[in-house]
Amino acid sequence: MRKRLGILFWIAVLWIVLVVFLAIFRDSLPIADPVARLARSGECERFERPSWSRWFGCDNAGRDIFARSVEGARPALVLGVVVTGIAGTIGTLVGVISGYIRGLFDTVMTTIVDISLAFPALVLLIAVSVAFEPSLRVFVIVFSILGIPGYARIVRGATFALAEREFVDASESMGATRARIVRRELLPNVALPVLSFAFIGFALVIIAEGGLAFLNLSLDGITWGKEISEGRHFIVDHPHVSLIPSTVMFLTILAFNLVGDGLRSLVAPREVATARRLHIEGTPEPRSEGDDAVLRIVDLSTKLHTPGGLVEPVDQVSLSLAPGEALGIVGESGSGKTMILRSIVGAFPLADVTRAGTVEVDGVDMLRSADTVSRRTLGTNIGMVSQNPLTALNPVRRVGDQVIEPMIVHGDLSRADARERALELLQQVGIPAAERCLREYPHQLSGGMRQRVTIAIALANEPKLLLADEPTSALDVTVQDQILRLLDGLRRERGMGMVLVTHDLAVVKGFTDNVAIVYAGQVVEYGPTAEIFANPQHRYTVALMNSMPDLNLPSHSELTTIEGAPPSLIDPPSGCRFAERCPAVQDKCRTDDPVRAGTDVHSYSCWFPMSEHPVEVS
Amino acid sequence: MAGTGDAHLREDAHLVARDLVVEFSGPNKTVVHAVSGVSFDLIAGETLGVVGESGCGKTTSGRAVMQLERPTSGEVTLRGQRLTDLQGTDLRRARRAMQMIFQDPISSLNPSRRVKDIVREGIEIWGDPDGASTSDRIDEIMEAVGLGGDDVGERRPHEFSGGQCQRICIARALVLDPEVLILDEPVSALDVSVQAQILNLLDKLKEQFQLTIMFISHDLAVVKNVSDRVMVMYLGKVCEVAGTDALYAKPTHPYSRALLASIPGHELDLPPASELISGELPSPIDPPSGCRFRTRCPHATAKCATEEPVLRAVAEDHYVACHHPGSV
Ligand SMILES: Nc1ncnc2c1ncn2[C@@H]1O[C@H](COP(=O)(O)OP(=O)(O)OP(=O)(O)O)[C@@H](O)[C@H]1O
Ligand code: SF4
Ligand code: SF4
Ligand SMILES: [Mg+2]
Repeated sequence: MRKRLGILFWIAVLWIVLVVFLAIFRDSLPIADPVARLARSGECERFERPSWSRWFGCDNAGRDIFARSVEGARPALVLGVVVTGIAGTIGTLVGVISGYIRGLFDTVMTTIVDISLAFPALVLLIAVSVAFEPSLRVFVIVFSILGIPGYARIVRGATFALAEREFVDASESMGATRARIVRRELLPNVALPVLSFAFIGFALVIIAEGGLAFLNLSLDGITWGKEISEGRHFIVDHPHVSLIPSTVMFLTILAFNLVGDGLRSLVAPREVATARRLHIEGTPEPRSEGDDAVLRIVDLSTKLHTPGGLVEPVDQVSLSLAPGEALGIVGESGSGKTMILRSIVGAFPLADVTRAGTVEVDGVDMLRSADTVSRRTLGTNIGMVSQNPLTALNPVRRVGDQVIEPMIVHGDLSRADARERALELLQQVGIPAAERCLREYPHQLSGGMRQRVTIAIALANEPKLLLADEPTSALDVTVQDQILRLLDGLRRERGMGMVLVTHDLAVVKGFTDNVAIVYAGQVVEYGPTAEIFANPQHRYTVALMNSMPDLNLPSHSELTTIEGAPPSLIDPPSGCRFAERCPAVQDKCRTDDPVRAGTDVHSYSCWFPMSEHPVEVS
Repeated sequence: MAGTGDAHLREDAHLVARDLVVEFSGPNKTVVHAVSGVSFDLIAGETLGVVGESGCGKTTSGRAVMQLERPTSGEVTLRGQRLTDLQGTDLRRARRAMQMIFQDPISSLNPSRRVKDIVREGIEIWGDPDGASTSDRIDEIMEAVGLGGDDVGERRPHEFSGGQCQRICIARALVLDPEVLILDEPVSALDVSVQAQILNLLDKLKEQFQLTIMFISHDLAVVKNVSDRVMVMYLGKVCEVAGTDALYAKPTHPYSRALLASIPGHELDLPPASELISGELPSPIDPPSGCRFRTRCPHATAKCATEEPVLRAVAEDHYVACHHPGSV
């Protein structure tokens, strides 16, 4: 809600307030009589031009245009308020009931709405206004009837989505009646979309009234429409007579639309588009003799410049991965696991990012090489598998095209060769009817099959490095087992390095050689998987292991919890970032950043590691 | 049909679901057989874990017990009262004794209401069960779920983390002093460290408020940790029901064995999962005849295609719906 609506929104609000104010208090303000022919009394000439003393000038009969514009606002506003009130209320109720109760009512309602929205509204308006003497009542009735379907439709849509949300189920299980659910759970949540639509509807009412005036179908008294319509006879010699009321009307319509749009942007907040800028800092760390790592990360730090402040989700991370090896990266959500992968490939969701340190993939400096070089490495040497195979695949393209394309682009294969190879790949990843699969669309495949397809795509150019971000978190356990085994076999066969990002320690234990435990943007412990599971040193690693329910312990075993939550990455605390939640915390932990300890093989950043202080310290 | 039967039902049960069938209409006039003849019961104070893979009908079973989904056939009785016969106000009154907690804690809370009003909802509807003053009771419950503190009630859900939102959901459910809680994947959306907090909290609350719990989850380790008894489901059917430790020590239905063997890092004496299960999950629109697991079962025989296995005892309080439980 506390989003900036922009200056235009507030100018529009101001304009509406001004118009409403003048319309209401016209009588007590020093405004001329709108019907008085001032030319007769010599106060003003016919067609007098706007001036300081008479802001909007006078019209053909020598009447004050400012006064008439203010007077004209009255019917427009009354009509707008009454119609919006009636159509909004009825439409909202119909829409909520239709979207919540559904069933027959909904079917009938939707049909009626569809028909009425297809009906040419203007024709109905004209027909009715010709048949009945135009009067405020006739206008209100006709406009309201025309307005209801619009409200009903948007409210139905919003309600439909809301009714699927669990809080509606929860309220129902509490025993709330349907009427109460509508009142307490649904209406407050559709209020904003309705309000936004109401402003736009208001503008439409003003436009309709103006349009009808041109057909001589107008209310009694002064209206904007009538003034413009009458003034157009003098448009050549005295344009201000019609231009001024037109402008007033136009600005009012614009203002209502702007306010409506502003409110809508609150409902569906658009992504704030920050400029996409990538900065690189520092100098690369040279590779030592005989180091054949496919992935070498030295002191990588990534900073995101967000509207909320500077976030550093990757802080001084160093990792290394040999060919054929699997490296697990474990941590909680928000700890920076995915950001490490993004920092390798340089793909960031929003925006302004600074990276420092060294990232090398197969000897190529991913931070400082020319774009063409790093992109080539991305396309051919790195394969990626993501958590959600459905969104990773293009829903409207056949699987075959999606597997074949990257091979043609990056692998320089002919189409026929690429197709041949695609078949081979699909078979390798365990898709039984590969030929048929090539012709299918992603939605026709099960979750497990889709993930196999994304793996096939990742393997297409024989990458040396596979980055898998929670590749099985969205899958069932029997399918997860198959996919993990598949990945495990592939990386061994092909001597491909694999980074496996996951929150599941059991997956890491079963399928990786080395593991990095990440907490609040830092690698707190790093080493061989077997060694770390047998002999965890950092207190967070220990706590994490104890808090996982263990299948091998009897039921109702007490779980050790880690109280609290990780610190914010905007302005993290000094000292050890785990201090707030650590059972072994000492004063020193809160003030001094832990120094990396242990060996080259197994390192950790903790002042009081398990081996040196086996009993809980404090 | 596969996995029907009620041999495993007990006499002194507090809540009984018997032969539940829930069908949805699928695309093109097809029928989705979400739950097909499932029976289970809970005795007072017990936690029943329900496990199985996506789409096996876990959630639908829980919702059918709550009558959030009216079963196509079958009955649900609570303390002997048949909920499936009730309508309108009678139903609302009777089901007050059961509350459900959902997977997504954030979507479970109305974003436009204050926490205080959300938690109070039950009392607003029904009045205070104890007659104690409402705000005292709310304070007591907020304290119990670990959200004591003055300003919590005035804030709105988006100001809380996932774990805290789940605590608010639990508080809301407890306000009406329910007898039965149905928890549908209550910790699946939470981080490991927070998950343990919520599991321990549930354990504590179970004692404090004398709850009977139906705990639905796809995570076998979590279910093992919290349950007294476990029911394994596959494609709308029950495969196996047994005491937790018995089931995890000696899984007997071929599907239960495949499920357990698939868990990374398990230390059970089982062959690799790839030898225990093959192929893909069939569609619930057109489930296999006979035993629904037969298309993926290494032990399937002709009988499995024609005759549906019925749950029967293989050991004391250990029930399996399989024609050939001995062959494993
Ligand atoms: N409202 C509905 N309309 C149509 N089909 C449905 C509906 N709700 C559930 N189903 C179908 O019923 C079957 C059982 O679904 P249910 O949600 O109970 O499974 P589940 O075991 O809870 O799965 P998950 O682990 O994914 O939560 C599925 O095939 C599902 O697609
Ligand atoms: S440095 Fe101190 S606070 Fe941090 S994990 Fe080690 S013992 Fe705990
Ligand atoms: S052996 Fe037959 S009855 Fe038993 S699970 Fe396999 S297919 Fe089903
Ligand atoms: Mg479910």
